[in-house]
Amino acid sequence: MATREVLNVKGLSAGYGPLRVLHDLDLVVYSGERVGLVGLNGHGKSTLFLAIAGLTGWQRGSIRLNGHEVGGTRSQGPGRFTHRVVKLGLALMPQGDEIFTGLTVEEHLDSGAFTPRAWRERAQRKRRVLEIFPPLEKLMATAVGRLSGGERRMVSLGRGLMADASLFLVDEPSLGLAPKISKGVVDALMSVELGDAAMVIAEQNVSLLEGRVNRLIGMHAGKLKGEAAVGLAAQTVREA
Amino acid sequence: MDWSYILLSALTLASIYGLLAIGISITWSSVGMVNMAYGLTFAVAGYGAWGVAELMVDVDPIITGVAVVAAGIGTGALAGVLVCLMTFIPIHDKPNFPVRGLIATLALSLMGTQILLWIFGPRVKTLPPVFGEWQAEFGAIVLTADKAGALVSSILLLAVTLTWLKSSRRGLEIRAMMMNPHGAAIVGIGVRRTGIYVMALTGALAGLAAVLLCQTYFVSPFSGLTPMIKGVSVALCGGLGSVSGALIAAAILGLNESLTSAYLGGQYVLITQFALIIIILLIRPRGIAGMLDKAREA
Repeated sequence: MATREVLNVKGLSAGYGPLRVLHDLDLVVYSGERVGLVGLNGHGKSTLFLAIAGLTGWQRGSIRLNGHEVGGTRSQGPGRFTHRVVKLGLALMPQGDEIFTGLTVEEHLDSGAFTPRAWRERAQRKRRVLEIFPPLEKLMATAVGRLSGGERRMVSLGRGLMADASLFLVDEPSLGLAPKISKGVVDALMSVELGDAAMVIAEQNVSLLEGRVNRLIGMHAGKLKGEAAVGLAAQTVREA
Repeated sequence: MDWSYILLSALTLASIYGLLAIGISITWSSVGMVNMAYGLTFAVAGYGAWGVAELMVDVDPIITGVAVVAAGIGTGALAGVLVCLMTFIPIHDKPNFPVRGLIATLALSLMGTQILLWIFGPRVKTLPPVFGEWQAEFGAIVLTADKAGALVSSILLLAVTLTWLKSSRRGLEIRAMMMNPHGAAIVGIGVRRTGIYVMALTGALAGLAAVLLCQTYFVSPFSGLTPMIKGVSVALCGGLGSVSGALIAAAILGLNESLTSAYLGGQYVLITQFALIIIILLIRPRGIAGMLDKAREA
């Protein structure tokens, strides 16, 4: 399978109001790879994800998703164009789940199938999500607000997996979970068949990802470090 | 004054207030705006219904009734979309949107009312009785046509609305946005498109309420004001954002209104109504079934 660029970020800066969180960073993600993004709290992992979805306070710089430009300069209006980015193939599994407390698990999964194709195939997609997260099977008719933290995380990730996406951004899958459960959640993420898509997982706990992702990128003070951006990504291409 | 009469008028009023309050409540919780132009939507829908009624000369009264109700609902939905295009779309992503939205819709409602006054003049219009002139007696209970029609049609439209919200894809989007606007943006629900659906839906509810209420009152440029104030206060009393709360509050306030007008006289209705609302909100500040503020923010 030919590798192609799913995501190409160039010179991205973003922040909220007077605060600048990301400083001119570059990142390329290729199809079929799992990338780990590690770094401390408050160094911009979530902001990077939100900027790709167009949800930061302001941003500038180029973001190409499957060859379509979704970035550009924007000084206000967070979320105004997010639905277009989602339509182009982004699935963001946000930090802190962002669940809809009153909807049932099933409705919740349905709400993740945003594109017309995903909506038509939603029964099939739900089965696939249930294979990845079997505990949800029994809870399909339960309101999400009644679930435990681990179950909510599964619902939130499952909602992301329902999408017809080529780029999955997973923000802190282990946040607030007991070590054993967070390991299970990461195992489930690793078992997802990516196919032509790519997955970026932001995580503080390096040991959860070590040796299980294709690349590990560090993030510090709004910049990418370590096995970072374009240089090594190019190397990945040569190997492929 | 017999009890069946009081109960019946309480039910009728409750169903009309319920329509208005649910419209305001859904708008607030999904697009985050207190729609002060709801009264304008109401008045415009009343004029739409009146216009169609004027066109219907020498037509079968049943067809006229259906056409008038449909015209009210249709103009209401249209006016709702217009309000959305003029107030929600331009400013919904600017800072301080809740306050700006309140001011923008209030300004639009003042302007629109003056325009209505300019076009149609200050004389009130009457709608033809859309439900006919019959009445049925069940023992001691006398059911008049306008009351029966108001009850049945508002319950019908409410049921359709609630089922649509529960079972359709757009309804799922609206409910998702009511529960977590940020999460809704993340799964790709377009805020502006959903806003238009919501405002069309709530406009249609206001339109039906206008036709029903104008069976007893008149269509005039300012006819939307009192219903809107009552709708907003019923919605607040039930807890903004809660459909069931709005229904319960509408039932309580409808009962209060008919009791007051039966025992004290119609001029005391607003006094007892707002006293009751203030008492309810003092005891339970978030309204009868309201979500806590967090639910809207989270």
